[in-house]
Amino acid sequence: MAVSLQQSSASAVIEARRAHNEKLARRADQTRATWFPLTLLAILIALPLLQFTGNYNYLLHLVLFAASYAAMASGWNILGGFAGYISLGHSVFFGIGGYFSGMILARYGVSTIVTAPLAGLVAAVMGYLIGLITLKVRGPSFIISSIALLMISRILFDNWELVGGANGLTLPMNDLPVLWAKVPYYYAMIAIAAFTVWATYRIKHSKFGLGLRAISKDEIKAESAGINTRFYKVMAFALSAFFVGMTGAVWGEYLTYLRPNIFLLILVSANLVLMCILGGKGTIAGPVVGAILIVALNELFVATMGASEINILGTGMVMALGLIFFPLGLIGTLAKTGKLPRVLNWD
Amino acid sequence: MAAILQILILGLALGGVIALMGSGLSLVFGVMRIVNLAHPSLIIAGAYITYWAFKASGVDPILMLPVSAAIMAAIGVLLYRLMFERETNSVKYSEMTVLLTFALAMMVEGVLGGLFTNTQRVTSPDYATEAFFIGDVFIPKGQLYAGLVSLTIITALTLFLKYSRLGYAIRATTQNREAAELLGVNVNFISILAFAIGLGLAGAAGSLVSFVFSFFPAKHWEWVAMLMSVVVLGGMGSILGTVVAALLLSVVAAFVGTWIGATWSTMTFFLALFLILLIRPQGLFGEKPEMA
Repeated sequence: MAVSLQQSSASAVIEARRAHNEKLARRADQTRATWFPLTLLAILIALPLLQFTGNYNYLLHLVLFAASYAAMASGWNILGGFAGYISLGHSVFFGIGGYFSGMILARYGVSTIVTAPLAGLVAAVMGYLIGLITLKVRGPSFIISSIALLMISRILFDNWELVGGANGLTLPMNDLPVLWAKVPYYYAMIAIAAFTVWATYRIKHSKFGLGLRAISKDEIKAESAGINTRFYKVMAFALSAFFVGMTGAVWGEYLTYLRPNIFLLILVSANLVLMCILGGKGTIAGPVVGAILIVALNELFVATMGASEINILGTGMVMALGLIFFPLGLIGTLAKTGKLPRVLNWD
Repeated sequence: MAAILQILILGLALGGVIALMGSGLSLVFGVMRIVNLAHPSLIIAGAYITYWAFKASGVDPILMLPVSAAIMAAIGVLLYRLMFERETNSVKYSEMTVLLTFALAMMVEGVLGGLFTNTQRVTSPDYATEAFFIGDVFIPKGQLYAGLVSLTIITALTLFLKYSRLGYAIRATTQNREAAELLGVNVNFISILAFAIGLGLAGAAGSLVSFVFSFFPAKHWEWVAMLMSVVVLGGMGSILGTVVAALLLSVVAAFVGTWIGATWSTMTFFLALFLILLIRPQGLFGEKPEMA
């Protein structure tokens, strides 16, 4: 009797807790300005209509560029922001995705937009396998191992004759008129970015995301609370590789060539880290805001000063200043002080 | 046989230089737990200082070594005070400093690229292209001198750490920061000193590197993984370990480079780094089981 009484009271407690949580979630939903990201998306979808009034290819390029980085930074955020494992080698998956789909395009003429999810899967499988090895170490050791990974893959791709070695591979251009040539890639990239942001939101609010956040706070405690930390970490690595790989696939065809010194650059990885830190690691809107800021800053540096050295110097300086003065990032700092505008609260 | 001896000698001479390049990195990690990803870029800065003096007035790179070391040490004091001092209380200090030094490396690369452009440079004192011959075996003078100078500097550093009072304090801070502080060591001063010495070693290595390797501002990305592999294999914080690992790895790399192909000789370092991190993260001479 006593046991069943206890069970029923336990289930009553769980029931009450669930009701409470649902009430909290409903209240959070009410304060969340879902209309803002949706309106933003609608504006971006309508943007190519401008092409009827003149040549806005540069604007489209900028949006596409920012969207690609937003997708990759959001993907990186799954591992670096949620699980707290900072990787400086994610350009490897950018390269894997780009080369996989690019090779299919070069051999069989199938557009990378079609094969992008497949490229993402290949990158995810590679990420899973690499993660099984490198996620045994943590902290600085993990960061160093990710740099080593990038160096190794750079040498491998530089010497792999099948994919053109260091000279790379030229991909066929599409035969659309100049005004519309960018548009398919534009839509593909917007779709990938939107999907990634939505997916990171879903992940953050799942049991899986909760586990990842527990790992980033204290891995040993997380493990003793019954979280299979190894599986969680490796899955986070694979998932983040998936989104980066997908972006790489479309990026390759958009550029119309594949070359190790475009894809397997540490600067690409550095940019992902920078965007997440500047925007706010572990938040949903952070990587997107960071990507927009960095792309805008990049354009500003290049347009006003021209040299790529200034660009590298500027990237480094922004990163250092951001780390020292705003370690939580823009979104994180604003949220902590309670000044985050509702339109940017995507969590 | 002579061929094997030849490869061995070339590997050892290069290994001496690499040991000096890595020792500063190891010291800085040991004392402050800073994984200084900017170390290789600062070595290149030292190499440019030497290159500039050589081009402007023909100063011998080895004579320029103390000057370059002093300049880099001064920069080290400045950088430590500006960037790292305020981070010492941060929870994720180690990770934070990795990212900060990464940013610093990019800044140094950008500044050097702006000042000296991205062409490959090398200083060319006479001995850089000459060699001693012993029978069939030749020893390039430049690499021999560089290797000897760096082993001298490392010996001096080891003696300083072992027998001077400041050396005691540095080693005490390496072993246990809190306990050292309790015993009256001014830990902050020791940190600044160790960082300055570490960067001074980078400047010194830069002078030697300037005639052993050709260099350009972005070259440090290749070196960062190479030096990391040396320092991690040796056990982070152990100078002796760094020297042993540098000699070992560069000899292996020399054999790989001759017998398999030049591209794969750099691969030796990266693969070694990968394997060590997985099999024995604390390295050959390291004590800490986990560097988290």
